[in-house]
Amino acid sequence: MIEFIKGPMVWIAFGMFFAGLVFQGFRFFRLTRRKERRLIPAPPKKAGNKQTKKNVPVPTREGMWIQHLFWWVERKFAPLTRLAEKRIFPMRNSVAGTHPIVTGVTVIFHVFLFATPIFLLAHNELVASALGFSLPSLADSTTDMMTMVFLACAAFFLLRRIFVHRVRAISSVFDYFAWLITVVPFVTGFLAYHQFFDYDKMLTVHIILGEIMLILVPFTKLGHMIYFFLYRFFIGSEYSFGQGSRAW
Amino acid sequence: MIVGHRKALDEIAGMIIDHKKILIVGCGGCTSICLAGGQREVDGLDADLRAHFEEGGGHVDTDVFTIERQCNADFFADLDEMIPLYDAVLSMACGAGVQFVAERHPSVPVFPTLNTDFVGVDRDVGWYEENCRTCGDCVLGDTAGICPVTRCAKGLFNGPCGGTRAEGTCEVDPEVPCAWFEIHKRLKTQGRLSMITKVRPAREWVNQTRRTVIQEPYKERYTK
Amino acid sequence: MSVHSDKAVDTKQIKKALAKHKNKMKAYLSHCMHCSLCAESCFLFMAHDKDPRYMPSFKVINSVGSLYRKRGNVDRTTLEKIKKIVWKSCVLCTRCYCPVGVDVPDMIAFARGICRSQGVCPEFDETGAMESWL
Repeated sequence: MIEFIKGPMVWIAFGMFFAGLVFQGFRFFRLTRRKERRLIPAPPKKAGNKQTKKNVPVPTREGMWIQHLFWWVERKFAPLTRLAEKRIFPMRNSVAGTHPIVTGVTVIFHVFLFATPIFLLAHNELVASALGFSLPSLADSTTDMMTMVFLACAAFFLLRRIFVHRVRAISSVFDYFAWLITVVPFVTGFLAYHQFFDYDKMLTVHIILGEIMLILVPFTKLGHMIYFFLYRFFIGSEYSFGQGSRAW
Repeated sequence: MIVGHRKALDEIAGMIIDHKKILIVGCGGCTSICLAGGQREVDGLDADLRAHFEEGGGHVDTDVFTIERQCNADFFADLDEMIPLYDAVLSMACGAGVQFVAERHPSVPVFPTLNTDFVGVDRDVGWYEENCRTCGDCVLGDTAGICPVTRCAKGLFNGPCGGTRAEGTCEVDPEVPCAWFEIHKRLKTQGRLSMITKVRPAREWVNQTRRTVIQEPYKERYTK
Repeated sequence: MSVHSDKAVDTKQIKKALAKHKNKMKAYLSHCMHCSLCAESCFLFMAHDKDPRYMPSFKVINSVGSLYRKRGNVDRTTLEKIKKIVWKSCVLCTRCYCPVGVDVPDMIAFARGICRSQGVCPEFDETGAMESWL
């Protein structure tokens, strides 16, 4: 049984993860259609038509300081920010201006969610022995620190979900379950690495939980990882990154 | 908000007389709010048309459907599938919506059931008054919030014509207050009477050709 | 008060409408991370003293979400409740923001369409109500 979990089941889990994501991605993409692109000549420019950025967020108490920071950066590095806005990435003060703390935490959370397992030495050793190649690894102390930061961010989200009224108002049982299934592989991996409790048992639990998480990603709300890119990059809307060439 | 009123039933019946299957489409936006073309008014028109045709010994085959807005493609998914099944469409949206539906379905005749009147305000339930003629060059800041285009019979921009009656009403229609008299009164209340001597140049009449607005932050997206 | 308050709700028609857009709507509902970051983008939320009932996520979870949860087996009372949410708490100004990209106006319009199909829609000359529809 354990051999199955550590062996073929890993392949199955990863297979379902990747295939599931691709399948869901295509399934969803097929619901969209290409927008007709009809560029029109610019209307005559009227003097004094300078408007503020379209996504000036609603200022909250904690958001105002980052708003001012953004505006200062924009003014100070005006040519650069204008270029970035035009060519690379729209520099919008979106939700980061309204909820800087949550935005910051979620960025760190998601970056570490992916970076930690991908650049973990132990994982890469297994990948190398299975596939013959692997990604470069970070030092164990680094990934250890990353795991702890990740868990701190996760704790922030849990506390927010429990104690912030408006988040609690829309939370369901599955939200807590999704949080749990994302966090426990990291917790068990951390415990296994540091050899708290029985290493073999902890490792087995880590593997099982990781497999469950991978299988669940394409078929539950955890799939927002792929839909985020579809929704925000492809579907044209007020908040799309870039031009948004597709519509429903 | 855009205000309109339903055309005479005879006129509407005359539009669809040569068509068999008709779809009456309502709009959940402005025409709903001004009680001209919403879901209830759609049902009302449906009943009226059936009665009208039956009176004449004939028959009309109508279906009804209301969408949230007829001026935005995002709300057309279900309607776009339905229209090809009909011979004609009676739209209860404003003129903009009627044209938008017609543009999306060029092979199906789309008829207007409303006369779109103006951009106006709600005085009370069922009572609407014109306030704006969308001239594209607003001077309300100078005229204490009274529009000389809409409220002055002659559309004068630089003071009254000299025909104001003693009661402060318009020489064209004694029921209508003289707009410049009202402007003067209000500017005086606000202590800004000096604005009344400000001379404005002749207007650039821009509402004779089709206008387009692209908000400044979106210029890059839609213009070449 | 609705246009056809005496007719029974045609749940078959509702189920058909729900099934037609199931893929998209269920994806939206599923990918809503219940994070409440959409709240400040709704001017009604800000105008009503940050009442969570005006959050775009709250509105869609309790309208479209409710319709799917009940699998379309709704009665007129439920539709009236949904009517309150999608018409009184929302003007479809389409300014709602979602970090994941869920199209909230699309869902509100969908819920409105289902209400309309059963004759449940606002009557702008409704008298006797303390609050107006707008």
